[in-house]
This record gives sequence, structure tokens and C-alpha cells, in this order.
Amino acid sequence: MTKLISQRVIASLLSLLGLLILVFFLSRLTGDPAVLFLPIDATEEMKTQFRALHGLDLPILEQFGRYVWDFVHLDFGESLRKARPAIDVVLEAYAWTLPLAGITMGLVVVAAIVLGSLAAFNVGGFFDRLVSIVSLIGASAPDFWIAIVAIVVFAINLSWLPTSGVGTPWHWVLPIAVLFIRPFGLIVQVVRGSMLTALSAQYVKTARAKGVKNLPIIFVHTLRNAMLPVITVIGDQAAAMLNGAVIVETIFGFPGIGKLMIDSILQRDFNVVLAAIMVTALAIFIMNILIDLAYGLLDPRIRN
Amino acid sequence: MGASQRRPCLTAKLYWEAELTFKHLLIGALLASTIATPAMAQANTDITVVLSEELDLVEPCMATRSNIGRVILQNISETLTELDVRGDKGLMPRLADSWEDKGDGTWQFKLHSGVKFSDGTTFDAADVKHSFDRVFSDQLTCESKRYFADTTLTFTVVDDLTIDVKAEPAQPVLPLLMSLVTMVPSETPMEFVRDPIGTGPYVMTEWTAGQQIVLDRRADYWGAQPEVTKATYLFRSEPAVRAGMVAAGEADIAPQITAEVADNKATDFTYLNSETVYLRVDGQDAPTSDIRIRQALNAAIDREAFIGTVLPAGTELAVAMVPPTTLGWNPDLTPPAYDPELAKKLIAEAKADGVDVSLPIEVVARTENFPNVTEVSEALVQMFNEVGFTATLHMVEVAEHEQYYSKPYPESTGTRLVLAQHDNSRGDPVFSMFFKYDSKGTQSGVNDPKVDEMIAAASAATGDERAALWSELFKYVHDDIVADVLLFHMVGLSRVGERLDFTPTIATNQQLQLAEIGFK
Repeated sequence: MTKLISQRVIASLLSLLGLLILVFFLSRLTGDPAVLFLPIDATEEMKTQFRALHGLDLPILEQFGRYVWDFVHLDFGESLRKARPAIDVVLEAYAWTLPLAGITMGLVVVAAIVLGSLAAFNVGGFFDRLVSIVSLIGASAPDFWIAIVAIVVFAINLSWLPTSGVGTPWHWVLPIAVLFIRPFGLIVQVVRGSMLTALSAQYVKTARAKGVKNLPIIFVHTLRNAMLPVITVIGDQAAAMLNGAVIVETIFGFPGIGKLMIDSILQRDFNVVLAAIMVTALAIFIMNILIDLAYGLLDPRIRN
Repeated sequence: MGASQRRPCLTAKLYWEAELTFKHLLIGALLASTIATPAMAQANTDITVVLSEELDLVEPCMATRSNIGRVILQNISETLTELDVRGDKGLMPRLADSWEDKGDGTWQFKLHSGVKFSDGTTFDAADVKHSFDRVFSDQLTCESKRYFADTTLTFTVVDDLTIDVKAEPAQPVLPLLMSLVTMVPSETPMEFVRDPIGTGPYVMTEWTAGQQIVLDRRADYWGAQPEVTKATYLFRSEPAVRAGMVAAGEADIAPQITAEVADNKATDFTYLNSETVYLRVDGQDAPTSDIRIRQALNAAIDREAFIGTVLPAGTELAVAMVPPTTLGWNPDLTPPAYDPELAKKLIAEAKADGVDVSLPIEVVARTENFPNVTEVSEALVQMFNEVGFTATLHMVEVAEHEQYYSKPYPESTGTRLVLAQHDNSRGDPVFSMFFKYDSKGTQSGVNDPKVDEMIAAASAATGDERAALWSELFKYVHDDIVADVLLFHMVGLSRVGERLDFTPTIATNQQLQLAEIGFK
């Protein structure tokens, strides 16, 4: 297992390096930030001054060399638009994205595992059909529409919840609820399918023959064996959330990493783009390692 | 918790502080981000404004950028003069009590006495000089610098409350230009600041990046005390959410909502917003180098059909690049009539004279330039094709649009018509006409020595003569040379809570003076 993790870490570091090179040069290909930062009737002198102030007038390889030198010293440079250290801007956004993603995925995992397992156990029954219909609707409904309808119904018409923002725990309810729906729909289907396979195994029949009750059969004997594909999908969905939830962040005014990244790309704020991608990549690499550990915990064959 | 108990909790304005250290990020982001301090009481003269985009900077020398100006301009930072865009008072004193043309390009400004910055220091002539030093500094890229292109300003402090400003070449509208530069204390560093110090009636007391900015009324303001005691600015990019926040009582003012969500006559206001939409025509390209083709393009468009359909009711037909509130605006000009038969006739005449009217015309428009820009662009192309042009539409992002909009223009087979939106709420055409019509103008499609001379003459004139010269120029480019395809003076829509006594106007596009807001 240690060898596996070590290999993962080395591969992740190499991937980070490749990502750094790719993102640096690709972002430079999008054009000149001075054009977007300055007004359309700005003089050429103003544009030249802006480029000189931010080192954008240097040869591209020199810019890259300086960036790498600063990067190894954990200096991501300054945001072109916000005139602040890019890493501060990114970490502030991440401080909102991490809890949003964490709470949502926590709820999704618990709900999907419990409901998916029970649906599989009652396959073909009313509960199974209900879970299947709800999960299919959830997996296919557009986030944007759900978010707007949720605001109109729960914030404006019923006045139960705030429309948007982050001031109180109540502000988190609608964003989490909207974010919850799609991954729940997907994961509950995977849990159900995986559990159906596991429940048909011989050891389950043996357990039943020995008089083991239903709930221990589901959650003690079967679930662990059904979890490997589920963890893979959970990891995939969690990685998507760590990249930010652009639509939910945009509609609910949630200051997370997704909207920051999109805005920074559109505004050519190179340093923020690079810092955001590096921090996101780091978070995803860490999560992947945790998933590898989870595989090992669940399946001794991987551990050995 | 029942709904009735929960409601005060939901609407209360909470102050929120999360430690954004790396340590917290790693070990306690979840916990840290859900800590809320107890709600503070909100006075009924406190207001909440929900803006469409977050401010990157709260820097006084960037106040001419509209999203920054709405928070800073005349609220935190003031200018020497102020243009009355809402009314008809013209240029008014603000921090300068009076100004006088001393000849030889020199203007003398007398400053108001007893003015203090929010840090307690006294405002004087040295602060004026320093404020301009920052604008022209090569360590900053201040937006307001663009208004002084090709002009050298020399500042001479006569005494604490008198300053001479010499412009080379002479600048007849220098007092007007003073309405674009905000004053900062002499101690302000030559870098963008995050805690702006100004002479205005409000001081910024909180800026939580990504969430809110709070301005509190100053007790020691030199002028009349505004009614609004505190303003909280929130940022939501979705118009339906902004409108919904006012409807739900979470906000009091939501500028820039869309016609689709403006469904409440009691709270939703429509007003000219100083933006003019037009098609820039390149007069050097074939076939648009022929005036009959330019006339045909104008006659092919049923402008009225757009209003109340894809554009909000209240949108006005444009006859000039600037809105009607601008100096020298010519009331005698009329929009080209929709006459497809005339357009076909003009095209046929041009073709008979050897103009290749089959050359392609590409309409270039920018996504999200204004609401329904795609529908407007598609309809324009359809109207051009109905009279016999070979037009296509090319929708682009903002960065690509800039390549087509500003010189040097890329080569094309045929020609390109660039759909653009131009803002001039500054009261004088000088901020528009050179860029859009002079042969050296960055976004000009005109190369006419007479236009260049008329722009130079109007820019150098003052008073009634200036207005008359601009008026002549508007007629010349609209009627005589048909320089472009002017389309619409756009309207803005804002939602204002019913407890406020405030009517948004053309000024709301660039600034939102809290002092102009009252309560019913």
C-alpha cells in the first residue's frame, strides 16, 4: 500500500508540473490582458504601461522562468485585476468551496448509500421505483432551472429562506440542496446496481439461511463488497465539486472557486487562473490518494 | 424552528468574519465558514444595494469604471466639479467653489474651505496636485488618465485653497474633465489602495471580498447630511436574483435588471442609460465606401420593430452617437425611415454604377453586450438580406470583438459591420466624436478631412459656439456622409424598493449617489 501511495504522489507531482507548463502557455495564447483591463478608448501608452507594470512585455520564456522561480518559492504573483496576491484570492474562494463541496458530498454519500441499498434490497417494489424515478429526474434536471425555481418558491413566495448570499447557515440550504440533486441521482443508481450484484452472491444466501436479519445483511455483509465502484463515482463527483459549482455560485452569489476561475479566465487574470488550477489540482490529487486508501481499506487484495 | 421565528434571522444583516488562513483552510474551513456573529440592529435608514458584479478594486482613480463608480463616486471620493446629468444645471461646483479661465490654457480653481478627508486631514490644493500625480503615475494604471491623452497638465499651487492648472494644448473643457478625477489625500501611496480615503459623505467601513462592501455615513462631512445612514453593497450576477432580492425585502435597489424580470410597475423603473447601439461601418471597404450602400443599410432596418419586442419599451431611436442629454445634441435630426423599396433602389443604382453589391457583409456582434444582442443581430442580418445584401452574423466574445472594433481592422473580403454599444454620460461629445469619427480615431470608420476639421474646431470652442459646432457635426455625419448605422439609445431597468424615494436616471449608469436617495 505504501508503494502504491508513493507511486501516486510521484505521478501527481509530475502531473502538476505538466499542468503548470500547459496552463501557463495556453493562458498566454488567449490574448492581451491590457485590452480587457483598460477601457476601450485607453491610449497605447496606457496599454504599454500596464504590460510593463505586470511583466507582460518580457519574452514569453523569460516570463515562464520568472513564474517557475516564484512558484517554487510559493509565490503565485499578484492578481492583475484585484492588485492582491493571487494565492490569497484563490484561498479565500476555496474556503467557501471546500465546505460547500464537503457538506454536499457528505449528504449525497449518506443518502445515496442508504436509499440505494434499500432500493436494491426491495428491487421491483414501490420504494425501488420511487428512488429510481427521483434519481433519474435529479440526474437529468438542469441546475440553472432548479436554482431559479427554488429561489422563487422558497425565498420569494414562501419567504422561508434567503434568496442568496452566505451570511447565515440558512443561506447554505438552497445552494446545498441544488448541488445535492445531480450527484445524488447518479450515485444512488450506482449503489443500487452494485448492491443488486452483491446481494445475489452465495454468501448472502448463506447469511439468510443462518437467520441473519435484513439490515445487517445489507449494511454489514453486502455493502462493503458493493462499495468499490461506488467510491470511484464518488471520487469523480467530488472532483467536479472541488472545481467549483459555477452555476450554483453564480446564481446564489456564492464566492467560490468555480466562478472565480471562470471570471479570471474571461478577464485574462493569468496569475489567479494559474493559482486556482494549481490549488484545485493539489486538492484533487489529495482526494485521489484518499480514495486509493479507501480502496485499500475495503479490499485487502489491493492493500497487499 | 417555525417560519415566523426564522424570518428575522434570515433578513438580519450579519457581520461575518472567517479567518482565511491556510491553517484554517486545511483543518477547519467547514467550521470556520459557518460561524455567524449575532445580528446587529439595522436602522430603517440603512439600505442594501445589489450590484451585478463584484468590485475588483475600490480605488478612487478607477472611479470612472461604472461598477466602481457606483460605490465610490461622490459617496466616498469627490471631484472638483460635478456634471448635473440628472437635471439641467450643467457643470456644478463640488470641491471647487469656482473656476476661471485665466487665458493661455490656464484655469484657476478656488477650493471649498473646511473640507476634511475621512482620516481627519484637511483637503487643500496640494491634495489636488497629488491626486493628478497618481492619475499620471507610471506606477499605476488609472482609468481616468485616458481623458487627458495628448494633454500635458501643469499644476501650480497658489495657496491652500487656490490651484492653477495649465493645459497644453489648451483644453476648453478642463472644468468638465475635473468631474472625472477623484481627490485623495497627499499621503496616498502610488499603488492601488484597498481602504480609500475621501472627502465624501460616506466612509468604507467593511470590504469582505466576494461578499459585501459597507459604507457608513460620516458625521463630520463638510456638506449636507444625506438621509441614508449606511449602505451595504452585495453582488449577484443573475438579474432575476437581483430583482428577487428587492421583492423579498433583502435589498432596496437593484440596478441593471432585465426586461424579462421587470414585471412590477410599482418598483421597476425604465430610463435612458447613456448607451448608444450602432453599427460601425468601414467607409474604406467595398461596398460600404459608396454612400448609397450606407443609405441602403439604414433604410433596410425597421428600427421600431425592435422596441417593445427584443428591446425594452422606452428604447429611443438614435440620431447621434451620444444621448439627447449631451451638449450640442441636434433635435432637428430624424432617424432614417424603414423603406426596403428605397434600399433596393439604392443598391440597384450603386450596382449600375459598378459597385460590387454582392460582396459579403459580415455583422460582428459581441455576446452579452446587452440583453438580447443575439436576437437583435439576427434580425438586422435578416433585414439586410431581405433588401438584397449578402449578410452573415458572427457572434464573438469580448476579446475577439475588440480586434474588430479597434484599429488596425483585420482584412476582410467585402466588409464588416461591427455592432457596438457606446457610453457617454459625460455631457460633452468630445468623449465620443474623436474616437468614433476622426480619421485617427481608434474606432472610426470615417476618413473625411472635413469631419476632422469640424471635430478639432468643436473641441477647441467654448460655450454656445461649442454646442453649435457639435450640432453641425452631428448633422454632417448623420445626414451628409451617413457615416454609420445609428440604431438605439438604450434604456436601463432598475428595481427600487417601495420604501425609498429614489428615481434612477441616466446618471445611474455611472454612479449611484447615496445622497440622492430619500425615504417615503
